[in-house]
Amino acid sequence: MKVLAEPDFVFECRSASVTLPLNGGARPIISDINLDVREAEFLSIVGPSGTGKTTLVRMLGGLLRPTAGEVRVKGEILNGPPEGVVIVFQDYANALLQWRTVAANVAFGIERKLSSKECAARVSAALDLVGLSKRADDYPWQLSGGMQQRVQIARALALRPAVMLMDEPFAALDAMTKAGLQDELLRLRDQTQTSFVFITHDIEEAVYLGDRVAVLKGSPGRIDEIVRVELPSPRDQISTRQMPEFLAYRYGLHKAIGHG
Amino acid sequence: MASQAWSSRINWAGLSVCALMLLVWEASVRLKFIAFEFFPAPSSILSGAVRLAREGILLEDLSHTLLSIAMGWTIAMVIGVSIGLLLGFSPVARKFGLASVEVLRPMPGIAFAPLGLLLFGFSLQTELVVTVLPAIWPVMINTMGGIANVHPRLTDVGRTLRLSPTEIVRHLLLPAALPSIVVGARISLGLALVMAIVAEIVGNPAGLGYGIVREQQAMNPDLMFAYIAVVGVLGIILNAGVLALTTALWPASSRVAA
Repeated sequence: MKVLAEPDFVFECRSASVTLPLNGGARPIISDINLDVREAEFLSIVGPSGTGKTTLVRMLGGLLRPTAGEVRVKGEILNGPPEGVVIVFQDYANALLQWRTVAANVAFGIERKLSSKECAARVSAALDLVGLSKRADDYPWQLSGGMQQRVQIARALALRPAVMLMDEPFAALDAMTKAGLQDELLRLRDQTQTSFVFITHDIEEAVYLGDRVAVLKGSPGRIDEIVRVELPSPRDQISTRQMPEFLAYRYGLHKAIGHG
Repeated sequence: MASQAWSSRINWAGLSVCALMLLVWEASVRLKFIAFEFFPAPSSILSGAVRLAREGILLEDLSHTLLSIAMGWTIAMVIGVSIGLLLGFSPVARKFGLASVEVLRPMPGIAFAPLGLLLFGFSLQTELVVTVLPAIWPVMINTMGGIANVHPRLTDVGRTLRLSPTEIVRHLLLPAALPSIVVGARISLGLALVMAIVAEIVGNPAGLGYGIVREQQAMNPDLMFAYIAVVGVLGIILNAGVLALTTALWPASSRVAA
């Protein structure tokens, strides 16, 4: 575990709520969210479906305004998508530009801001990080699902973000691809010192990846509990997952969510 | 490599059926299985086409029809794409405008030929009235649908990557709608060809369509069929041309296995 002398918060939510207009009425989706995200922290948020996980990520990413309370990014009140924060969406096929090559997709977020030379350098660095350098000239539809999601992650990394918000990014992938990408994310965090907010409905994934795991529960969704995960780093798909501590966290979170 | 890929893309089996049909046709006429004096053999149609080409009249008619298709299609594209974009982007425009589109769309363009004749007489303008009106709809509807059906996630992507609203339209929504717009443009082009020929048959005495009527009235069935064949070949070439242009400009919009 990293020990931070004085924790720098990248995100601070103070009683943030989001109410969306639905069928003529107003439906509260998430309510009274108090949550901090620290620098280079991996924060997992776990919760059953219908608890507003996606709404929470969209609020943090500036796509939705909190209808009550406040959200601060590096001290500033959130107002639209903030610089240095980027969302990676669950449905990679919709989120990629099908008419652009892999490299051009990765360049999409930076090409209007940087010189072409700097842009090319960042694109190849990002593709290296996700192991897709050899597929730079392919189109997204020529790649497997796992590779497409890596393209989306590379596009986010090319921005050199301070925070990556990931909305169930591996939900549509098979178990083996998922395990590989989980380890890639942890490696990326160590290499780039990016903070991750990682939404999932998979408790084991939340524990395996997270420095902390927040439990979102109820309707409207509230943060029910935040668990600090004290597992040794680097984590390992086989040995970490069979540690008694891992199983204890898993058990505790299942209890907290209300299973068994 | 390239020529090999090209020859493997030709549908030899399909073409051989066409050749066989021509052969049967030729044989039936020569062996007098078909005893209909206005039904010439393919060989005499071909020699008729050669004769028309030598006299220069075929080129003249062809250029007139091509000009009228090009003008009609261009006008239809400009109107269709602009109104289609407006309808695609603005729910308000859809709310107020879509009913009018649905009322006007089923009207056959040829029904406006008499109006064109009243306004412009036997002229290219009359031909354009008949060509433009029906050719507007396919590209308009496909442009509108292309824009309105872009997945909302792409807008989310644009926002999280901090693009401005204009950049989102230009770099995400328009390119995403492009394949659908191209499909509409192709259908419109095919329609423009058909309507130009119809207009030349019933209205403006010029071009390939008039050539068909002229040779019919002059009792030259071989020349009449030669004109019909040229119209058919023109349709194939125009469609292939738009496809080739699209593939050259936007390789990713044609998803043939690479």
